[in-house]
Amino acid sequence: MEINKTFQETEVEAVLSLLDQYQDNSKIIAGGTDIIIQLHQGRVNPEVLIDISNLNEIKEIKQIEGRILIGSATTFTSLMKSQVIPKNLWGLIEAASQVGSPQIRNAATIGGNICNGSPAADIVPPLLALNSQLVIANKMTERKVPLETFFIDKGKVDLKNNELLSYIEFENIKENQGLGFTKLGLRKALAISRISVAVFLEMKDGCFNEIRIATGSCGKFAIREKEVEDFMRNKQVTDELIEAGANLYSNIILKRLAGRHGSDYKSEAIKGIFKDGLGKATHLAKKGGV
Amino acid sequence: MKKINLKINGSEYSLEIDENMRLIDLIRDVVGLTGTKEGCGEGECGACTVIMGGVTVNSCMVLAFQANGKEILTIEGVKGKGNDKLHPIQKAFLEEGAVQCGFCIPGMVLSAKALLDENNTPSREEIREGISGNLCRCTGYNKIVDAIEKAAYYLVKEAEDNEI
Repeated sequence: MEINKTFQETEVEAVLSLLDQYQDNSKIIAGGTDIIIQLHQGRVNPEVLIDISNLNEIKEIKQIEGRILIGSATTFTSLMKSQVIPKNLWGLIEAASQVGSPQIRNAATIGGNICNGSPAADIVPPLLALNSQLVIANKMTERKVPLETFFIDKGKVDLKNNELLSYIEFENIKENQGLGFTKLGLRKALAISRISVAVFLEMKDGCFNEIRIATGSCGKFAIREKEVEDFMRNKQVTDELIEAGANLYSNIILKRLAGRHGSDYKSEAIKGIFKDGLGKATHLAKKGGV
Repeated sequence: MKKINLKINGSEYSLEIDENMRLIDLIRDVVGLTGTKEGCGEGECGACTVIMGGVTVNSCMVLAFQANGKEILTIEGVKGKGNDKLHPIQKAFLEEGAVQCGFCIPGMVLSAKALLDENNTPSREEIREGISGNLCRCTGYNKIVDAIEKAAYYLVKEAEDNEI
């Protein structure tokens, strides 16, 4: 099958109409950094390509009534430069800044990173730790789904052929909260993450009043670590607690990856990565630099 | 076939292209500007770097139709239209011996330009970050970083001289 039609739209509504018309035969292209390789290798072969990289409506980051909305066609570079993101959401900026290279970050989009469904998608763990919701539209209606339930399998997400992910939204961060992110890659630039951890914290009276943790690159898709969260929540912050949390986390990863290549390495490495991400989140929450 | 209009190095083009054509193929094979190189074809090496809409992109990872209405700068256009002299970045690369086989250099120069357009006094660390999407297998990067540092100096001096 050959691509025989391409559309370069500037209005979301026009894109939704095209998706409705072409359905299975069409593919959305934004930054193109994943799909062009897939097209080249014949892994996808749509007849119609719909370019959404000129949809200004979903290329911006806004703050509305205490929530932050990131347009799905926002590039990683735009996210890194955004004035809307408060300082203690640094984990989001750190994750974005470690994607690929400057050239890739200038083209690749947040929505693309999510919808491509890669287990190593850098922006997903921080968004999971923020309890993000996805706003998904089709020609007729709009639905909201938690990011956590969006991933079905490796490379497979809950997005129908007539749908467009338009926004990612989450509650804006408060002064006593912080988001940390740590990634282990094999080199500094252009590195696919081997493991990544995002930690969201709310501190109160020396306790982890709320803690949400998400892991990337340890399974079919990034996931929340609720067992570790439950273990650490509402407890006084001590070195012993952090050590115990890291050991529990390590055992969970070891079980999850049992029999798979790199399970010993990853289950050991997760301890350090988790402590690093947790340390960053604690620092940001205490600093409260909103 | 699809018709697109775009600007490359200050000149307007109206071209018929295949829907699945990549931007690098348009630049090299249709327009004939072969300074832009294809290395890996998957966004790792940065040899195909061009500036589109003011930012660097890998032209092997952009489809040609997406460049419709856009302004593109390739290595051939860096020195400016109608200008015979080399751009200060190119001059600094030659002076510092930053070019060996030369394959990565067009992409390096464009990444350096994008960096210096935004930050005219980058640290060596910022320069390394700025060219982190461009691989060079000859130089070991040090001379390239030296050259970009020198180019920054040239550009700041040029701007000061223009003010006087």
